[in-house]
Amino acid sequence: MLHISSHKACCFYLVARPCRWLIRDQPLADHLLKIALILSILTWCGGYASAVENRTQGQPEHAGAKIYKQMCARCHGPQGEGTARYSYPLTGDWSLERLAAYIDRTMPEDDPDKLDAQGARLVAEYIYDAFYSPAAYARLKPPRQELARLTVRQHRQSIADLIGSFRPAVRIDSQKQGLRGQYYNGRNFNPKSRLIDRLDNTVDFDFGTRGPDTETAKFDAHQFSIRWEGAVFAPETGLYEFIVRTDHAARLWVNNLRQPLIDAWVKSGNDTEYHGQIFLLAGRYYSVRLEFSKAKQGVDDSQKNPFVKPRPAFITLQWKRPQRPAEVIAARFLRPQLVPEVAVIDAPFPPDDRSFGWERGTTISREWEAAVLEAAIQASNYVAERIDELAGSQGGNRSQTLRRFAERFVERAFRRPLLPEEKTLYIDKQFTAAGTDEVLAIKRVVLLTLQSPRFLFPEAAGLSPDYSVAARLALTLWDSLPDPSLLEAAAAGRLRDPNEVRRQAERMLADPRAKTKLREFLLTWLRLDTVKELAKDNQKYPGFDAALAADLRTSLELTLEDWLERPDSDWKELFLSTEVYFNRRLAEYYGMTWQGDQQGFRKVQWEPEHRSGILTHPYLLAVLAYSKDSSPIHRGVFVGRALLGLPIRPPMDAFTPLPAELHPKLTTRQRVELQTRPPECAKCHSVMNPLGFPMEQFDAVGRLRLQDNGQPVDASGQYETRSGTLVRFSNARDLARFLADSPETHQAFATQLFHFLVQQSIRAYGVHLPEQLRDFLSQNTRQWRKLIIEIVVTAALAPTGRMAASSAPAP
Amino acid sequence: MTTIRRNRREFLRDLGLSTAALPFILNLPSLGFANQTQRKQRIVFMFSPNGVVPWTFWPDNEGPLTQLKESLQPLEPFKNRTLILHGLADRIRGDGDGHMRGIGCLLTGIELFPGNIQGGSDTPAGWSKGISIDQEIKNFLQKNPATRTRFGSLEFGVLVPERADTWTRWVYAGPNKPVAPIDDPYQMFNKLYGRAKDHALASSILDDVQADLAKLRSVVGAEDRRLLDEHTTFVREMEKELKASQQELQHPVPQVEPGLRRDNDLMPRISKQQIDLLVAAFQADFARVATIQYTNSVGMARMKWLGITEGHHTLSHEPDSNKKAQEQLTAINRWFCEQLAYLARRLAETPEPGGPGSLLDNTLLVWTNELGKGNSHTLDNIPFVLVGGGLGFQMGRCLKYRREPHNRLLMTFAHAFGHHIKTFGNPAFCGAGPLTLT
Repeated sequence: MLHISSHKACCFYLVARPCRWLIRDQPLADHLLKIALILSILTWCGGYASAVENRTQGQPEHAGAKIYKQMCARCHGPQGEGTARYSYPLTGDWSLERLAAYIDRTMPEDDPDKLDAQGARLVAEYIYDAFYSPAAYARLKPPRQELARLTVRQHRQSIADLIGSFRPAVRIDSQKQGLRGQYYNGRNFNPKSRLIDRLDNTVDFDFGTRGPDTETAKFDAHQFSIRWEGAVFAPETGLYEFIVRTDHAARLWVNNLRQPLIDAWVKSGNDTEYHGQIFLLAGRYYSVRLEFSKAKQGVDDSQKNPFVKPRPAFITLQWKRPQRPAEVIAARFLRPQLVPEVAVIDAPFPPDDRSFGWERGTTISREWEAAVLEAAIQASNYVAERIDELAGSQGGNRSQTLRRFAERFVERAFRRPLLPEEKTLYIDKQFTAAGTDEVLAIKRVVLLTLQSPRFLFPEAAGLSPDYSVAARLALTLWDSLPDPSLLEAAAAGRLRDPNEVRRQAERMLADPRAKTKLREFLLTWLRLDTVKELAKDNQKYPGFDAALAADLRTSLELTLEDWLERPDSDWKELFLSTEVYFNRRLAEYYGMTWQGDQQGFRKVQWEPEHRSGILTHPYLLAVLAYSKDSSPIHRGVFVGRALLGLPIRPPMDAFTPLPAELHPKLTTRQRVELQTRPPECAKCHSVMNPLGFPMEQFDAVGRLRLQDNGQPVDASGQYETRSGTLVRFSNARDLARFLADSPETHQAFATQLFHFLVQQSIRAYGVHLPEQLRDFLSQNTRQWRKLIIEIVVTAALAPTGRMAASSAPAP
Repeated sequence: MTTIRRNRREFLRDLGLSTAALPFILNLPSLGFANQTQRKQRIVFMFSPNGVVPWTFWPDNEGPLTQLKESLQPLEPFKNRTLILHGLADRIRGDGDGHMRGIGCLLTGIELFPGNIQGGSDTPAGWSKGISIDQEIKNFLQKNPATRTRFGSLEFGVLVPERADTWTRWVYAGPNKPVAPIDDPYQMFNKLYGRAKDHALASSILDDVQADLAKLRSVVGAEDRRLLDEHTTFVREMEKELKASQQELQHPVPQVEPGLRRDNDLMPRISKQQIDLLVAAFQADFARVATIQYTNSVGMARMKWLGITEGHHTLSHEPDSNKKAQEQLTAINRWFCEQLAYLARRLAETPEPGGPGSLLDNTLLVWTNELGKGNSHTLDNIPFVLVGGGLGFQMGRCLKYRREPHNRLLMTFAHAFGHHIKTFGNPAFCGAGPLTLT
């Protein structure tokens, strides 16, 4: 029998699954630089089903088909679908050559000699085209763009932008970091007593028993106050905890400047730490204001009871990002300007379906519906409470202003102008129902709009092609609604021009929301999207604590952010860079001399003869390891799954690694080899282990080692490519170089990127799209941003076949 | 101190509900769990500032109440349901001036933390070191499913200044955990009925959602229709649930008159509105414990409607010899007493839902004050005027004590709810145990 998939007893196995490789039979084998080409591919796909029939009817039967029927179909089924004898369908992503060689060597299972090399080749050719290859599989079971609701992420971001669109847009000056600090000589914020107005990188001061004196500014050591203001950036969505540490009075506002998140203006007892939690959406700036006062509040008795001896004073502004330990808010998250409030609707949602490996909105549940209702109620109250600010309805004809607000609100939510009957239902009817209470009318409009299928199901919203392009661009790059510029372009019909779509996509890529989405993609690609607890054995790795682990993650995040940010970054750098972000703590832990007294992170060259990009980043190596020992299996599975896109399933049974104590003389590598030696294990581990062994140069915290358990480290490994070439590596750098150049890595990256951005099956947009994107990346690693643009433009311009509402039949 | 934002997420977690179990069952106004097997017991604490005028307030003798003095005259109709405790003292000392300890230790019976709030004299202080008795009782009732209610307790205010400091808080959820009263009737209304209103609105709108869904359904392809059909089904179910929840809301939702902003001159109307909301909340069994705080310690209400233009606190510093000032202070306290009497009347007029008698039969009102007397700032002879049958005390009389620590009274309240605490607040003042008031 043809064992493309492996045995059930095996603990990891390679699953032949439709999705990846194809080189032959590529009707439009070149680049997808031109939209015209993309469109023609899609058209071609649409007519595919009939083409298959034509071929089967009109063409003579392939010679391999005959052999297949005779020798293979008994076990594998007439269409490779499997039988009771062998239930796995014959689909997969090996090259034709590798497939042919495998069949020749192993098939038919009872007597491989029955089939010679030529016969095997014929069978391979036949099954490859008929059902084995990803493209063939896609033809037989064409994936389609499914109708989807907004994902949770899209839902939240859309509401924030919808309400935010009624507030002034603010450009953040990305050059200036830190908060504006104003220092007052006195217990109140009297403008006349302000002695300093400056930029503070962070808020982390210990004033001792003196004032915050400078050369020119001298403060009363008993009584002074400081106000810090600006914006804080949320890099990920979740519950943030802000922490103010001070031995005096302080209060902190975040996002909502009317209601303090922390109010410790009354100093009471010995507490010096105050906490406040707030849910924030990723990719946005939030206003922050922190006030500090060293003084007695209440009655001013400083004349009556003069101060005797100045007391010490300190203040620190920290936060706990989701799943991270407390740390001082670093300057890179701070900007010295206030921004408009963000409407964060924190109604809890059930998580989106990720069964395909990416979040998608193709299923709904009772819990989701309830959350949508709850979010709509929250949003309606939010809008109603701030209606005069949002609608600009103070003074003037309030009634008219509110109605106009309502119209624009619905338009923006539906991503297009309203049809007359929609205006009747969504505006007029609601105002009539509310009678004279216009704020109630607004509440009704908001509630109805946010529960409307036209908001929740963008592709069912009845968008004309122009607005559909705008809507998709915004969803793909921002997870949100189109901005005014996009809507204008749609209204003017400019989005019919692929070049304009491309220009828009390029513009949108610079927005913090797009950067945030790409950052999240990179973390997802590296399987680091959920922060893992990184605890290491105290005996073996003294000094590796939670703070160091957090720094390590920051180091990796900075690497990715820097790569995303730098205009000249090359995709291959991800695998080839010999630089790493360190701060003093990390540098000292990893045995590097730290020059200068700078406390923050900076990029340094580190062990360039051994390190190579993310693959050797100590955070990744430490995550893919146990608390005492490295884990070649985890590292190999990571390289296989994430980087090479190999479909490796988790083991059927849970195995614990052989305890090192039982084999005191063996290295980690030897123990792994020993444990996975049984044939049912080796089937898959012979693929995985050699992908993980090259990183054996690095221990469980990612430090370089030349010896493991007293023996020299053997870091050799190998990989048989999908096209059947055996590649050998002698260390992690070799592997990284191979990955940087491998079309398999390129295709895995491009495909995962597509899924993350578009949230639909990639082959629904072209049977050969994965291969085309792969080739594009292979040839343009310096212009990796163009790959994103290609994906975005492809998705935006793909036809759906759904009718626009204007042409919809009357109900 | 930890400032934890009370949001729905946390509320859910506190209830032990996972996200999956979430919104349908949640926040429906019927989340008041009625208990009909045992007599309901309720307690209301009412605060007014700046002390009283002793000779127009205290009965001359211990024993049955005869003629009430001028300050208390509004209670005439409830004389036989009133218990006046004379001679209890707030014996708590430590940091903070008389006013700060007056309000901060009144319901907590324990010292203030040292801090940065400087009063007119003494040392600066912070918040109270302990929980207040109303919250202690609330926690006790909320622990038992039979006495648990939707909110447990409600904290009302009338014209409480918009600042958080020792002078503006008398309720504490724990050490360093002051609870802000809600003095905006609209905010209180939203807290009590916002969910119900929102759900009513939502259910009235889901018809329109359905209508539009039906239109869209005809436009999308057959394969995609499945998702919209599922959606339609869920929306319909949700509408049903919302409608059902409306019907469970059997008690009437009170009306709130418009225009009640925080304005000294609107104090009588705000007071009436807050009392009406309190009565409605008891009627719906939203809570068994309530507090209502008039202004704040050192409160400066100007009762122009009584012809008094001077601020309350300023007046309270006038010497006993200033007859006019003492008359005005008497009038002010009489006005506060009128509010108490209005509350008592509303409760007496409202039948106990599902039981015999009136709400007042099962409620004890406790009117108290931060000081004994304004111009001396004494914490002796703190007024405690009790009205109603909630705790089974023997009413219609006055009891006289000699500087008995008020901690004993605070314990008495807890014991009357069946919560037999050995001490409350500073244990040094609890030695003799609860008072005997039955």
